[in-house]
Amino acid sequence: MHIPDGILPASVCLGGYAAAAVATWYSLRKIRQKEDPRAGIPKASLLTAAFFVASWIHIPVPPISVHLVLNGLLGAVLGYYAFPAILIGLFFQAVIFQHGGLTTLGVNAAVIGVPAILSYYLFQVRNLFGQDSRLGTGLCGFLAGAAGIGLAAVAVLTLLITTLPAHLDIEVERASIYALALAHVPLMVIEGVFTALVALFLLRVKPVLLED
Amino acid sequence: MKPRLDEYTDLDSPLHRWEPRAKLVSLMVLIFAFSFLRDLRLLPVMLAASGFLYFVSRLPLSFLLSRLRLPGFFLLVVAVLLPLCSGTTVLFEIGPLTVWKEGCLDLLLIGAKFVSILTAGIVLFGTTPLLTAVKAMRALGLPAILAEMTLLSYRYLYEIGGDLRCLERAMRLRGFRGRSLGSLSTLASLSGTILVRSYEQAEGVYKAMVLRGYGQEASFREEFQVRPQDLAGLLAVFLAAAGFVAAEICLQ
Repeated sequence: MHIPDGILPASVCLGGYAAAAVATWYSLRKIRQKEDPRAGIPKASLLTAAFFVASWIHIPVPPISVHLVLNGLLGAVLGYYAFPAILIGLFFQAVIFQHGGLTTLGVNAAVIGVPAILSYYLFQVRNLFGQDSRLGTGLCGFLAGAAGIGLAAVAVLTLLITTLPAHLDIEVERASIYALALAHVPLMVIEGVFTALVALFLLRVKPVLLED
Repeated sequence: MKPRLDEYTDLDSPLHRWEPRAKLVSLMVLIFAFSFLRDLRLLPVMLAASGFLYFVSRLPLSFLLSRLRLPGFFLLVVAVLLPLCSGTTVLFEIGPLTVWKEGCLDLLLIGAKFVSILTAGIVLFGTTPLLTAVKAMRALGLPAILAEMTLLSYRYLYEIGGDLRCLERAMRLRGFRGRSLGSLSTLASLSGTILVRSYEQAEGVYKAMVLRGYGQEASFREEFQVRPQDLAGLLAVFLAAAGFVAAEICLQ
């Protein structure tokens, strides 16, 4: 899901930083509107680290295993802190593991973080069912998780299609895009189910984590 | 996971001694200048520039190679796909496979930029402790909330990573294998447990921070002092970056 350095033109990388700056500004503005914005920082920071660590868990999809992106779950649990959390997580991945990149940090944050904010809004629909509703939490958790990775995948594929080498065989390009898009459908389902299961676990064990 | 990024930040080299704000701005400008390049004739100069930076940093070569290993898999995939899928001019054929000239040139461009940008990034964060780098970013205008979240997340990253390893070991000792999709529910509970533990720890951390005066504005500007040699380095790298961009525009 992360676009590495060297692939995208500098103009797209700078555009990514501009998009990430706007999304960060929007998130920080919403955070500052809270009664005591600093009170939420330790919670958001430790949960950022926890999400970063949770994304290392191998999910078995025989015959292979995958790592989940968890941007939908991040949006559901962290709300407006989700975008800064994703930006920080991607920064750590770029400088500690060289996964992703410094030039593509803005692009990666925008394509993963903006869907996380949308997932947050989607997850809030559960309030219509009542905050204790397992059905509402499970359903909205699934939609938030699936939409988070689905939208991110569409954004990454669109970026790659528009910036791929111009002389790529059109048939090969089309086949690769269809294959990549199809490969993400089962991942959307897995991420959706996983997000719903974690949301239900939190509803049972620590419901305060799901409250806005 | 070991905190290997800070392994060589205590070495002594001009790059280690460079004022962190000047180093951060200079090397980020250079990295973006690298990403601007499209002309193949500039690639050897770009590789030489990043190699020179690495040489001056006195970081061991083994450190660079170990850090390039993981992202190197990406380069391997590109190296297999591009020459076989991208292009209109046949370079040569191996059985049913055709190797295209344009794909090979694209591979050269992407590969060289990838290695150069990564090397410059490794020099930047391999010669500056992460905490100092974040303080420098804050001094350059990074919002306080982002800086505090980055420092706190980094502080607890390895601790929470250790918690995950303990939980996974405990699950294995109790017979959990997790080889099928049926284990998704157990793995979701594992993730949930990590989140709940972190949340509970955060409450204690917040109270302890408040007792120590958390909430006062901290300024990192006084921590850094720019010397003439720092400005000279900044100017030299800016000129090099401008040279790369100008050469690219002229060659186009």
